[in-house]
Amino acid sequence: MARYGMALNYKNCINCRACESACKEENGVLLLPDHYRIWVGVKEAEGQFPNISIASQTYHPSQCQHCDNAPCQQVCPTNATYYGEGGMVMVDPTKCILCTYCINACPYDARYVDNRTNTVDKCTFCSDTRLANGETTTACQATCPTKVRVFGDLDDPNSEISLLLANKEYRQVKEHLGTKPKLFYIL
Amino acid sequence: MKVEISRRRFLQGSVAMSIAGGVSMSSSSMMASAATPAKKVGNEDKKIATLCEMCVNKCAAIAHVRNGVVEKLDPNPLFPKSRNMLCARGNSGIQALYDPDRLKYPLIRDGEKGSGKFKRVSWDEAYAYINEKLTKILDEEKDNRSTVAFCAGEGMAEHTFKSFFTMFGSSHFLNHASLCLATTVSGYSLTIGGYGIADLDNAKYVIMAGANRAEAIVTPDTMDMFKRTNGRGAKLITVDPRFTNTAAKSDKWLAINVGTDLAFVLALTYVVIKEERYNKAFVENYFNGFEEYKNHILNNNYTPEWAEKITGIKAKDIYEVARDFMAHAPQAIYYQGRRTTWSKNDFQLRRAQAIFSALGGGIDVKGGICFGKSLPLVEHDAVAPMYAQAKPRIEKDEAAVVGGSGSWVAFRNMVLENRSPYPIRALFNYKHNPMQNMPNNAKTAEFLKKLDLVVTIDTMPSDTVMLSDVILPECTYLERTDPVVSYGGIEPSIAQRNKAIDPMFESKPVMEIMRGLSAKLTKPLFEITKKYDEDVQSAIEDDDEETVYAEFDLTKPFAHDQAELNVNAVAKYEGAADILKEKGVFYPNMNEYFKKVGVNDYEYYPEHKRAYSVRNMKFNTPSGKIECSVPALAKKGIDAMPVWRSEYEMAIPAGKFRFITGRHAQFTQSGTSNNRLLLNLVPQNYAWINKRVAEKLGITFGDKLEVSSKIGKTTIKAYPTEKIGPDTLFFVHGFGVYSKALSLGYNNGGNDAAIIEDGIEPMHGSSCLHDTIVEIRKV
Amino acid sequence: MQTLSLKKLFNFEKTPLNVVMAVTTVALLAAFMAGAVAYILHGHHVYNVTRQHPWGLLIAMYVFFVVSSTGLCIISSIGHVFGIPEFQQIGKRAIAGAIITISSGFAVIGLEIGHPMTMLIYNVLTPGLTSAIWWMGTLYGLYLTFICLEFFFLAIKVNHTFSKLFGICGLLVGLAAHSNLGAVFGFLVSRPSANGVFYPVYFILSAMITGCYLIFLMYGFRYKMNFPEKVSVMLVKLSKILGMLLAVLIFFEAWKIITALYGDMPERAETILHAVKHPNFWFGELILGMLIPFTIILLSNAKAIKATVYASISGMVGIFFMRYDLVHDTLLYPMTTLKRSEYQVAPTFVEYFPSAAEFAIGFGGIGLALFLYYVADKVFNLDETTQH
Ligand code: SF4
Ligand code: SF4
Ligand code: SF4
Ligand code: SF4
Repeated sequence: MARYGMALNYKNCINCRACESACKEENGVLLLPDHYRIWVGVKEAEGQFPNISIASQTYHPSQCQHCDNAPCQQVCPTNATYYGEGGMVMVDPTKCILCTYCINACPYDARYVDNRTNTVDKCTFCSDTRLANGETTTACQATCPTKVRVFGDLDDPNSEISLLLANKEYRQVKEHLGTKPKLFYIL
Repeated sequence: MKVEISRRRFLQGSVAMSIAGGVSMSSSSMMASAATPAKKVGNEDKKIATLCEMCVNKCAAIAHVRNGVVEKLDPNPLFPKSRNMLCARGNSGIQALYDPDRLKYPLIRDGEKGSGKFKRVSWDEAYAYINEKLTKILDEEKDNRSTVAFCAGEGMAEHTFKSFFTMFGSSHFLNHASLCLATTVSGYSLTIGGYGIADLDNAKYVIMAGANRAEAIVTPDTMDMFKRTNGRGAKLITVDPRFTNTAAKSDKWLAINVGTDLAFVLALTYVVIKEERYNKAFVENYFNGFEEYKNHILNNNYTPEWAEKITGIKAKDIYEVARDFMAHAPQAIYYQGRRTTWSKNDFQLRRAQAIFSALGGGIDVKGGICFGKSLPLVEHDAVAPMYAQAKPRIEKDEAAVVGGSGSWVAFRNMVLENRSPYPIRALFNYKHNPMQNMPNNAKTAEFLKKLDLVVTIDTMPSDTVMLSDVILPECTYLERTDPVVSYGGIEPSIAQRNKAIDPMFESKPVMEIMRGLSAKLTKPLFEITKKYDEDVQSAIEDDDEETVYAEFDLTKPFAHDQAELNVNAVAKYEGAADILKEKGVFYPNMNEYFKKVGVNDYEYYPEHKRAYSVRNMKFNTPSGKIECSVPALAKKGIDAMPVWRSEYEMAIPAGKFRFITGRHAQFTQSGTSNNRLLLNLVPQNYAWINKRVAEKLGITFGDKLEVSSKIGKTTIKAYPTEKIGPDTLFFVHGFGVYSKALSLGYNNGGNDAAIIEDGIEPMHGSSCLHDTIVEIRKV
Repeated sequence: MQTLSLKKLFNFEKTPLNVVMAVTTVALLAAFMAGAVAYILHGHHVYNVTRQHPWGLLIAMYVFFVVSSTGLCIISSIGHVFGIPEFQQIGKRAIAGAIITISSGFAVIGLEIGHPMTMLIYNVLTPGLTSAIWWMGTLYGLYLTFICLEFFFLAIKVNHTFSKLFGICGLLVGLAAHSNLGAVFGFLVSRPSANGVFYPVYFILSAMITGCYLIFLMYGFRYKMNFPEKVSVMLVKLSKILGMLLAVLIFFEAWKIITALYGDMPERAETILHAVKHPNFWFGELILGMLIPFTIILLSNAKAIKATVYASISGMVGIFFMRYDLVHDTLLYPMTTLKRSEYQVAPTFVEYFPSAAEFAIGFGGIGLALFLYYVADKVFNLDETTQH
């Protein structure tokens, strides 16, 4: 079975936030505070004008890590959060009781309360809106001007993402927590 | 794969509601259970190939339309120029389409100008009203067609509107060029024979001065550049008074004093000439007047040490950049830039940049500034009538060369100051917002009020729309098919915007508006011409009236349907019309050349088919060579070679700031000021002020500041940051809208048009956007 | 059970204290209702919880109530489960209190959980066995059942065997439930300041302390500070236990803080340092919740029962701060410290202050508890019935 993950050529990122807007349009994320499945973390420049450390300002495109060992899934009292097909961490809104325990448990701030369903929502890797319709890219990947994201099957050794990870160094976020995150930041 | 829940359904719901006029979402109740998954209504999903119009780039997009609702815009990978992407604004096009504040019906002013009071009328009533006013004006002005001015914002249908202008016979066409990039285009054209295309896909060394490609997206430059920065093939040197997102991606950021770029380029030039690092073969063969230029540079002693005092950039850095540039040349580019008129020396700056680039030989070669190829379309010419009474452009002598798009500021000011040799009484405006895009909006408002008739065609009630007499609602780009366009370049292609859905409300595409309006005006206006134009009178005596009228028939350019015209325009390419309709993009051999080479990447042309070098070393300049000196300009008071003049140095009094403006990637000037998705990303603009200066003044993040200049003031929140120098103040353009009809944009953030002084530079009369001193006050 | 008319139910001696208590109870009850209505009308918007601070006062108050309940249950078990004679007398009153406090807790959490009905269904259909909330909720459900039965056999259909049996069950399940509540926080790998063994154990300890405080308060009010001999003997003993528990708690806290700060482990040290510097901790938790009661007990050799009753008020306020800080401090450190937008200050410690509705529902829950206690006191005889 496929196990989907995402590699990010994050050095390409120009913080244009096209990915953010595409995700909102693709997935109908409401334009309200706290409603976002994806964001770009900005590490602000250090130093004093005009001696600013260029390397210090970096952009970190972020979304749910679809952890292989997801704390959000473990803590869910009704199994509303579950591992879907392809190893994607999904929320079933019919089962979500909105205890918001998972929001507390996620080390990545990837979850929020969706005002429409009044349940917890997060990145789905566009599985319902795009992959289910035969697309092979996520909305955030497709729209990106500098093509930061490479989405694909980690279990397929010939997929672009597998080849990329085999040949490049990468880092992950908070992997020391044992979450086994599936976003890989290519160095 | 299992379908979990269709979010689209909700989206559709919200779209439908905003059409109905903006219903707010009610929250759920305690017992509300989650919505049941909705099945996708698959069959009605149409995919229409369109082109984005949220900015000038026109990226290719696929509109997903379900049940007549545009649900999503996806990038269309076929277009070489947009390289399979849509930026944040491109994605937000749907919000522009379904903006509840859109102009929905024709309106006629119903109160004092500026009162914001309008009454809804039918299209015919609107045309009749224009007709009545216009015939009166033209009669009074004895058929001086130039009493009516035309202005247009950038867009694919600008051409259609311009046809109307041409048929009408006025001398006054105004557009954004004199508020934007006129100086760069002519600076490069007069020097190297064209503005050119920076081949950032292959360049190894790029100097971006004042250009901010990470935030002011230009296709394909932005996409090509940042995949190769950070030690991955291209060195990037950013020269900017601010630490921009582009600077953050650079190998070097040089914080330059505002308005001193020319001194920087002259010093770079000095180094490469003095040290003889330039491409000698190229200079020898393809430069005209190099010796003269060399002596000019050396004799004036434009040394890095000299430039350091002016620019604030260390001499050491200037040496290093100059040497590095030439070490990488000819794959080295001094990037041309856009929206470039900053100060009085701008034209000279662009000339100096072009010459400096050329010194490395990086012109018309891979990795340098290329010219590319174009795919010609079949043009159908309509003969423009001549009106004997039409007088010449009023502002033609306000600058050395006032071109076909005029000098907006000079034009406006002459009218206001009663310096116009004849009255200017009416303005036809297509999708242009001079109230926001021209410095000194107090003057623009006065100007618009002074005119007897202002007719504005637009989609949104902008500040300019609110000061108009007649408002004609255009449909948005997703509701219309526009003229097919050929995009020249290294990888040329033809692209077409196809209508995704029918126009909403009573809005119409500009083609239909022009058709209706011209039908109404053509006969009555001809009567006036007949009355005052002796040439016409004698022509009628010679021929019959009908033959003469045929020439003056305003309706001529609008007789055909746009889709039909597009088919004709591409007739010489077999199958192109159908492909354009279906796929939005066409170029010869596309089927063979276009390849997917990775999950994200496509190849458009095989390497050997790309048009890197096309000029055969004959440039489109008078001498066919790189022009170091343009003596013809000297006669008009413009330096034949770039010279640094002491008056270019602008002292900034203590406690004051030099104001600069610019862009973020989430907004397109004032056009996106009411877009709810974009405002969701960045709710408003903030004034960048140096952190240490702010601290001294007791200003912290979010404090309200009043920013004032000689000509006006605006209020904006403070953003203290070390990314700007102590004597500079910055905020992005396009905010602080005055029009209450833009419910989200109204009074949101600071308005730079209120504070920027309306000085112009001497070459084209372009407005100097960075020559304003401001002061701030905490409120 | 006493026969009761409505008139009788709402009839009480109009002493100033009683009147104050009555007014307070009614006001808090009204607040609870108002908050509940606001929530039902507007949903979670009336709460100040956010994505970065998803839990707030209501969770704190829920913990406050269930800690109280568990504490009362534990303390009462000293008598009727473990058979220490002096403590037999508190059984009924304590168990009634335990039922009342946990019910109030459920009422509060019912207004915090978005879909309580869904919870009832899917807790059973698709139980999340790795979820501390599932265990906590399920065990507390069971616990409530047991202590209700216990009360039934204590006060309504007196049967000592059954009451003892259900008492033991209630106690065990209550302890399990309660340590699971601690684990709700302790299991959060994302929150280094909370993650680990501390909370599950600390919860039991602080429950016992809460139980002691509440017994003091209930008896102080019941006897208007004129304690019969038998009661004062019991309270002196209880006071000694309380003193000892407080000493242990102070040790616990001290070592938690020291180990958290030692070595400056990222996130954890900063969070705890930030937390202990806040008055909520040093004044609320430490002075009110621990030091004042402890000092009084220590100085009076546990004999100053009246003073201890007053100290228990201070203690309970302290317990409230402990619950509030438990939630707030756990969420203090942002999960990402990067800005999301140019025009923003980089996130530091997450801020939260409860909204009016949260205050209304949270503190209104106390009104609910007081009211239920008043009714229980009227309906049932909560004093020891002389037997043997
Ligand atoms: S779209 Fe791409 S470049 Fe733009 S912010 Fe997102 S990841 Fe970065
Ligand atoms: S990132 Fe957060 S929400 Fe996503 S799977 Fe991991 S723990 Fe769950
Ligand atoms: S994968 Fe889809 S749902 Fe996830 S962040 Fe990207 S666009 Fe949004
Ligand atoms: S750059 Fe963005 S706004 Fe401009 S045309 Fe492309 S997608 Fe549209």
